[in-house]
Amino acid sequence: MSSTAEKTMKTDSMFINLGPQHPSTHGVLRVGLTIEGELITKAVPDIGYLHRGTSKLAEVRGYHHCVVLTDRWDYVAAMPNNLVFCLAAEKLMEVQAPPRAEALRVLMCELNRVASHLLFFGTYGIDIGAFTPFLYAFREREMILDLFEMACGARLTYNYIRLGGVMADVPPEWLAKCREFVDYFKPRIDEYDTLLTYNPIFMARTKEVGLIPAADAVSWSLSGANLRGSGVCYDVRKSDPYCGYERYSFDVPLGQTGSCWDRYFCRVQEMRQSIRIIEQVLGGLPEGPTMAAGVAKIPKPKPGEAYAHVEGARGDLGIFLVSDGQASPYRMHVRAPSFLNLAILQELLVGNKVSDVIAILGSIDIVLGEVDR
Amino acid sequence: MSEEPKPDAKAPAAKAAPAKKTFPPAKFNEKAGRLLKTTRYWPTELWANPWNKPSYRRGALLLGGIILGLLATGAAVGELAVWGDRLYAWLLAFISARGGSPVLAQGIWAVFKGLLVLHVILLNGLWAVWWERKISAHIQSRVGPVYAGGFHGWAQTICDGIKLLLKEDITPAASDAWVHALAPAIVVVPVVAAFAPVSFGRQLAAANLDVGVLYVFAMAGISVIGIVMAGWASGNKYSLLGGLRACAQLVSYELPRGFSIVPVLMFAGSLNISAIAAAQAGYKWGFLPRWFIFYPVVGQLAFLIFLIASIAETNRTPFDIPEAESELVSGFHTEYSGMKWSIFFLSEYGYVLLASFLLAAFFLGGGASPFAFDHLIPSWIWMLGKAMLMMFLFLWARWTFPRLRADQLMDFNWKFLLPWSFANIALAGVWLLLS
Amino acid sequence: MADIEELASRIAEKLPELSRHPNPVKGYLTLKLEDAAKLPQAAAALKALGFDYLEMISATDWLGAVKPEGYIRNPNPIVFLPEGATPQSVPSATPGFPYRPSFELLWAFADLAAKAWVFLKCEVSREAASVPSLSGLYKGADWQERELFDLMGIRFEGHPNLAKILTPDFLVGHPLRKDYVHVKDRFDE
Repeated sequence: MSSTAEKTMKTDSMFINLGPQHPSTHGVLRVGLTIEGELITKAVPDIGYLHRGTSKLAEVRGYHHCVVLTDRWDYVAAMPNNLVFCLAAEKLMEVQAPPRAEALRVLMCELNRVASHLLFFGTYGIDIGAFTPFLYAFREREMILDLFEMACGARLTYNYIRLGGVMADVPPEWLAKCREFVDYFKPRIDEYDTLLTYNPIFMARTKEVGLIPAADAVSWSLSGANLRGSGVCYDVRKSDPYCGYERYSFDVPLGQTGSCWDRYFCRVQEMRQSIRIIEQVLGGLPEGPTMAAGVAKIPKPKPGEAYAHVEGARGDLGIFLVSDGQASPYRMHVRAPSFLNLAILQELLVGNKVSDVIAILGSIDIVLGEVDR
Repeated sequence: MSEEPKPDAKAPAAKAAPAKKTFPPAKFNEKAGRLLKTTRYWPTELWANPWNKPSYRRGALLLGGIILGLLATGAAVGELAVWGDRLYAWLLAFISARGGSPVLAQGIWAVFKGLLVLHVILLNGLWAVWWERKISAHIQSRVGPVYAGGFHGWAQTICDGIKLLLKEDITPAASDAWVHALAPAIVVVPVVAAFAPVSFGRQLAAANLDVGVLYVFAMAGISVIGIVMAGWASGNKYSLLGGLRACAQLVSYELPRGFSIVPVLMFAGSLNISAIAAAQAGYKWGFLPRWFIFYPVVGQLAFLIFLIASIAETNRTPFDIPEAESELVSGFHTEYSGMKWSIFFLSEYGYVLLASFLLAAFFLGGGASPFAFDHLIPSWIWMLGKAMLMMFLFLWARWTFPRLRADQLMDFNWKFLLPWSFANIALAGVWLLLS
Repeated sequence: MADIEELASRIAEKLPELSRHPNPVKGYLTLKLEDAAKLPQAAAALKALGFDYLEMISATDWLGAVKPEGYIRNPNPIVFLPEGATPQSVPSATPGFPYRPSFELLWAFADLAAKAWVFLKCEVSREAASVPSLSGLYKGADWQERELFDLMGIRFEGHPNLAKILTPDFLVGHPLRKDYVHVKDRFDE
């Protein structure tokens, strides 16, 4: 470069705010990006816009009321949230849910996982620029929400799984409807593969992008499909079974390279496995009560500490509950998978292009309600 | 830890009879009245052979009737060029009778043709938006607009147009106000100008330019200035990125677009669009039209490259990185609202229409009928039909593909499209030598 | 899941200074770390044993019942109670419970291959609440420690960027401390 050009030209890095109002941040997430041209040199995720302090709120609410709070973390898949709190509280209260309630819990959680992955599938398509799969995913998600509405009256925040069991048994016609959905849904997953999974443009956009090596994924405490996309086999349903998951046969889909496509593919495969589990549950749903006897209206568990974790739609969702013998939890700590998955963003984005930010952010699949709690 | 047993955990269990503790579920649900009794309409019910539904059969009949009616109207009206000649002759006679010079008649005639072309673009905006919404809806298993106007929501874009006219025109505080206002004009004027030599049927063009092809490409190239101006003047970093991306993309894709039709020009031996269409007249073996798209390999390759480059030139998915709603929040027109925004939209659809007519004229024989026996249906109906078919390709691609990344877009252009368009020119030369 | 006793003996071979905690997390192996300063060594030894996944960092403030002044509105668990009525339950302390002015930190390490979990507890005083950071060993500790710093006010020495993460910048204090008192700000009404 000549000296005059050096004098007259001034190159500078640019700072852009991705969010908190941006169509692709999936909520109120802000990422401060420093870019050189289209290349990212620094990324600072900024969270807390949706912080409601549920841990603090739980400290003055009864255990039954806390279930309502849990719905609001991962509002896309609220059943596992209900479940994990109930599991932790049941450990404190030394209550065991009856078999039918456990089977219904598994059924609802797996249906919710499918609904959540469908939402991911649709919005990830939009992130990459394909609008059409979104509508296909929502068509099926709507059916699952209808099933939930039949079972508990709510479509988003269910409050269905309660301490000691579930809110109510499903209506008699529900099981037939659920089978109808399963039969309808199975061929749809193959349709999604033709729509998006093996689309050459989609693969060009997501393969070799946002690579997370297995060691990094473990070190960053990732979980769910983000960890399994890197080839690390960790699924709470297999590693630390709850609700009788050890009785059902299913596989844990693993990725190879930890790219965006691998994470995406893990989720699509997980929908197949969830449908497998749902079929097994429907095949052998035990009869009996759906609520354990002896759950107090105002439970006051013995002093103690319990940790329960489940495989939520976004990963290893854990709750650490402390009781001091009062009607409210003394301390509730949530191990939110989205929160921990999001932390890797500051390292992962650097060196990528602006378009890849969206692809990577989408593939991490966060729900800001759970990140901020 | 306290050792005392919990009093309230055991007492209710002892009181209640455990066998009767089951919930009465269905009754409880119905009494609560909040729960869905059964599901809403599910696709499983809706998709059970739609032909069994009378409304579906009626709709199919109606669609067939509309197409037949259009064809019949076309046959009754005849060639539009003939009507145009009659009208001009009448105008000339009228002005001469009043003592005016023929130059005046020519001037009035030119203004009339210009207004006609302008209305083609405006009407195309109305039509294309509705059509795109319907097509995208049916691709996405929706129905699209259905209420406005009564019949399949035909009045939807008219209502939208009124809404856009009434919307507040916002100029951001950080913007360069003059450039911000000027940019839509600079984008839309070249579209209107570029339509001048485009043939809408046999002998049906606003201007019979001998350098028509060059003129169209030259005009279409101007719009990129307006887009960069819009991106710059918005005072928004996302818009700036979008404008710069648009600049790089449009300038790059001009090349394969231009080179891909060189074989067509070689076959036709002319740059006049009407002459190119006329060069494809006639039928091989009595039934196969001599359209350039039917020339083995050369024709199809040229068609595909021109189609892909045209999609890229019109900033539509999979090449919509300048707009990129999910990344750049609509890119260069983020900060535009109301009519300014809709002018951007209008020009986009104008370019789609332009590319459709060019595709029809270059590769599909212009107004020529695909059937050797057909002498009834006029050329403008065929031209319109072919252009709409090409437009459908644009919409189809848009609602099916994901978006490429900026560098992949450039790779695709420089490493794939451009070499192949060069190779295609060589192929065309070989073809001409052999035949 | 691996057997707890077997796991305990395996860890006790390498880390004899960690004793079984008398007040364990139910169903999991819980170890007690006496001196917070020894945490990095203990974590490194656990990592060498295969516990390379930091599942969770949590902390409990053992001060006593939570203060109602820490809430923006009067906590009222009964939704349909009329406005201004006395809430049915107010946070109260359990008689005889060993409340004490200290934080109890909890780390959960997991060995994903062996399907084993181990919880590590360590108590620090409330006044100088500070423990060494694990963010050098486990990158996942980064945000979890920031969260605890933000909500509990525990300092993690050696953390590269110990800043607020969840609460807004103008919020005074650490909300999850039991003696937190909320200062009204412009967003409260």
